Amino acid sequence: MFKTKKRLSLLLVLSLMISLLAACGGGTASNSPGSQGAEKSANGEGGAAEPKLEKVKLSWYLVGDAHKDQSKIVAEWNKMLERDLNTTVDLKFTTWNDWKTKYNLLLTSGEKIDMIFASSWADFYKLSKQGAFLDLKDLLPEYAPTTWGNVPEEDWDSVTVGGGIYAVPNTNPEYTPLGYVYREDWRKEFGLPEFTDLDSIEAYLDAVKTQKKVIPINGAAYENVNSLYKFWNDFQLIGGDVIGATSYDNPRDIQILPYTEEFEAWVKRMKTWEQKGYWNKNALSSNQEAGDFIKTGQGAIYWRNPSSAGGFINEVKAKNLNMEIGFFPFTRFHNYVIPTLPSSNAMAIPKSSANPERSLMVLDKLRNDPEYFNLMTYGIEGTHWAKGEDDKTILIPAPGVNLDETPRYSITSWGWRYEPNMKNEKGGWDGLDALKEEFSPISKPDIFGPIYLDYAPVKAELAAVNQVFEQYGKPLMLGLTSDVDASLQTYRDKLKTAGVDKLLEYIQEEANKYFDEKGIQ
Amino acid sequence: MNVQAEKWPVARKANKGSKIKEDKATIVFNVIGYTLLTVISLVCLIPFWLIVAGSFTDEMEIISEGFKLFPHTISFEAYKSVFTTPEQIYRAYGVTIGVTAAGSLLGLLLTSMAGYVLSRKDFMYRNNLSFFIYFTTLFSGGLIPWYIMMTKYLGLKDSYWALILPPLVSAWNIILMRNFMKSIPDSVIESAKIDGAGDFLIYRRIILPLSTPGLATIGLFLALGYWNDWFNANVFITSDNKYPLQFLLYKILSSAAVLRTQTGAYLAANVVPPAETLKMAVAVVATGPIILLYPFVQKYFVKGLTIGAVKG
Amino acid sequence: MSEKRGFLKEFNKNRTLFLMIAPTLLYFIIFSYIPMIGVYYAFTNFNFDGGLFGSEFVGFKNFEFLYKSGILWNLTKNTVLYNLAFLIIGNILQIVSAIFLAQLASKFFKKTAQSLMFLPYFLSWVLVGAFVFNMFSDLGVVNTMLKQFGLQPYDFYLNPAPWKYIIVFFNVWKGIGYGTIIYLAAIMGISDELYEAAKIDGANVFQQIRSITLPLLKPTFILLILFSLGGILKGQFDLFYQIIGNNGLLYDATDIIDTYVFRSLTVNFDIGMGTAAGLYQSFFGFVLIMTVNYIIKKTREEYALF
Repeated sequence: MFKTKKRLSLLLVLSLMISLLAACGGGTASNSPGSQGAEKSANGEGGAAEPKLEKVKLSWYLVGDAHKDQSKIVAEWNKMLERDLNTTVDLKFTTWNDWKTKYNLLLTSGEKIDMIFASSWADFYKLSKQGAFLDLKDLLPEYAPTTWGNVPEEDWDSVTVGGGIYAVPNTNPEYTPLGYVYREDWRKEFGLPEFTDLDSIEAYLDAVKTQKKVIPINGAAYENVNSLYKFWNDFQLIGGDVIGATSYDNPRDIQILPYTEEFEAWVKRMKTWEQKGYWNKNALSSNQEAGDFIKTGQGAIYWRNPSSAGGFINEVKAKNLNMEIGFFPFTRFHNYVIPTLPSSNAMAIPKSSANPERSLMVLDKLRNDPEYFNLMTYGIEGTHWAKGEDDKTILIPAPGVNLDETPRYSITSWGWRYEPNMKNEKGGWDGLDALKEEFSPISKPDIFGPIYLDYAPVKAELAAVNQVFEQYGKPLMLGLTSDVDASLQTYRDKLKTAGVDKLLEYIQEEANKYFDEKGIQ
Repeated sequence: MNVQAEKWPVARKANKGSKIKEDKATIVFNVIGYTLLTVISLVCLIPFWLIVAGSFTDEMEIISEGFKLFPHTISFEAYKSVFTTPEQIYRAYGVTIGVTAAGSLLGLLLTSMAGYVLSRKDFMYRNNLSFFIYFTTLFSGGLIPWYIMMTKYLGLKDSYWALILPPLVSAWNIILMRNFMKSIPDSVIESAKIDGAGDFLIYRRIILPLSTPGLATIGLFLALGYWNDWFNANVFITSDNKYPLQFLLYKILSSAAVLRTQTGAYLAANVVPPAETLKMAVAVVATGPIILLYPFVQKYFVKGLTIGAVKG
Repeated sequence: MSEKRGFLKEFNKNRTLFLMIAPTLLYFIIFSYIPMIGVYYAFTNFNFDGGLFGSEFVGFKNFEFLYKSGILWNLTKNTVLYNLAFLIIGNILQIVSAIFLAQLASKFFKKTAQSLMFLPYFLSWVLVGAFVFNMFSDLGVVNTMLKQFGLQPYDFYLNPAPWKYIIVFFNVWKGIGYGTIIYLAAIMGISDELYEAAKIDGANVFQQIRSITLPLLKPTFILLILFSLGGILKGQFDLFYQIIGNNGLLYDATDIIDTYVFRSLTVNFDIGMGTAAGLYQSFFGFVLIMTVNYIIKKTREEYALF
């Protein structure tokens, strides 16, 4: 027992040394063998797999939790994979516990992983630049031809870093702009108009506070105010919370936002809101969600995106809370909406992978073959879902299944979602469809998200600026300081000392580079 | 006996100025003692009680009215969320208890041996080695090299050893052990040596029996360390049948938090677990049996195993 | 040369002792010393192709964010003062509790009190944070009480002043059971004969404590303080983060190095900068403990840590 372990570790030492040597040789590896098995299984129908394919076991990682029935589902999947590609996949999950630490650890330690979830909110750009992922540019046409063909050009652009394609983005455009869920029944009771601008919101907050004697934004207030601030002023933040374009239409007008007049006017207004008691004095320290107070009748407003607003509204209904909840998306301020960046949900292959080709073939299947897609995205038919009236609709739970025993199958399948294969669920909040219709015609492309920043020359400044923002910016934005003028001055001064100008210069330069490349004026 | 009196002359000073009647002093001492300890105990108990009471409260009541000594409405929602898959919880209890027992015993053996060696005044390198051990508390290379060592070189990913090894030996425990053992007079070791006992025999037959309070303390610390450890499982354990309790509970909490923020428009509402009360229920479940360990350890906090007893 | 001979001689003499400590030493070599090469991250601009040693060497650039802020001194001071307060107040209370627990007669009371004192140890800082918030928020317990007595409510979350005391209180509170046990064990190691002798000499309980218990606890006390000096710049992140949270208004009095580093690196975590901050903390502690231990060794050798 011990002997084998010893030998094993010796082997591991050796393999590490070899891999180190390989790494020193500089990002080679990718044009490796195994290519002979690369039958062009176009159109995703590769049922007749080439028997030539060598048997391979892959290791995949997803963020989040596995489902209770995960092993059954993966076993099912592996049967299909073995039949079609002579492959099995060991699907592992980071769990949500401290997942970011683990995610970084998995990549940095060079553990053998053949596919991993990647996202702009999981440092995709930074990691790509640092060389964590394999460049898929040359592999994609050969090993994932269907995907290569059906992902739009601009989506590939969004995962291209320095000329290399480092992930396969999902193809499932979504709109997730922020807005407020609020007590619609109260608004009607007050006889107030629907929200259209800051004044109408203020009138509502005021009525809640004076007539209902309720703190409208109860609990943690910062994000409630911050999201309103960004959308109302149409500020397009780039890299952190301090620097951004002053509006969507003037992308090149990038400024230090706290230095603008709009910011000054905003914090002054927020001071009056704070004085009127629209939120608590302890709003920055509270960990309680404003939404929870709506449910107890002690709050009126809560920031949400359309999907989670739907969840909130469903919950209120299910609990028979006897209140009407409305949703106001902030996109109505300026009448346009930006879809989610394709790179916010993608799959990438770490450099440590031994079988990137096969892994891509599996992904190509998973994304494009409905049999694979349905199993891994929705679970086992009849257990986790059932067919609805047409091919595009599904029922959850499947008839005769108790959700308490078989919970909804919802793993982080975000990375391989492909719209033509997606299904609509029966039931749920009807407002969502209306919003989709509202958003489609006013959609504008995201021209800020893809600006690639790795901060290498300004790391120290970024850290310092961010800390100043946390310490001085946040209290100011909530009007919690006693003297607004003085604390605004302090904030601006501290930002200057922290090196915000250097950061601005860097961001402007990178943004202009991107705008030039894309021809954005 | 004589040796000690010479070594600790302070004891002799005690007879000076003992004018106050002993009874009176003892009464005063008792009054202060009982009062102070009662206050401290209450200050420690009340928050814990609030958490226990909170875990049985309706989520809405906690949000709207805060913590209460006695809640109006009793609710088992939070415990239902914790025990959605009871087999898993029981299994995790098993893992934790097993790892705690194995790790504490092994750790106690290594720690007491090291502590003994470092406490031996005739051991030339005791200071150098103490420094060698202490130094590890000062500098650390961070998570990554350590993780690579554990997974790549020792192959401990998803192994129970990954739960047992990291908390096994700590500088803190060794130095504490050394300190406890230092208080055993040299004369005991000297006389055993004259009787021809080897170093290991002295350790096993004389030092260990004389260090029971110290061993109980370190054993308790080790056990608490193992019991509360979720981090090693977080990084190393991938199969869910090897999850220890704390990790599983933490996982339940973080999935609930994610579920709450990402609640989709289609999610049936009753699936949303309570947030505040869940945290409290988790704390109660996690504390569970370990709290019973304490009275058990207390048994070893008795005087009586005096040096004379061993000698005689 | 002569040192080598000395080692061999010592090794032959105390072979068993060497064997007994060998597993522990091996343990530290494998799990602490070898991974220590990771401190080199502090001096590199990490990339995956190069790994630890192949990445670009950048000297002290990763340390810039620490001193550029201009508040490093303040942070260092805060961290050190908090840790000193925790240590000194905590240890004194633990000693007092241990002495009473050892001396009082009622077994039931002692056991109960001891068990209760351990309860806070089991509460996570998240829960303690929620509990603190419940006490000090606008409508919290304290303000409700103030109002009942006809006093002005106090905005705890706008004023940094009281938080020093709150934080120290809760830290001491959480550790009291743990620390008391160490002192209790030390008291148990004191020979009964000493007390008997003192009693015969007519010493009352206070005198016994002053002339027997306290002097004999002194080595333990000094040891615990010394041991902690090396970590004097390492703050308890969870304690501060869960109690203070993102409330910048309170940072002047409650910001320590760990919370500062966390805030600085949230937008763009950088392994080099994170390691650099840790190295600063380590180095500070290292210099401190070496100095203090050196002085102690010169004056009272038996108290030295190594």
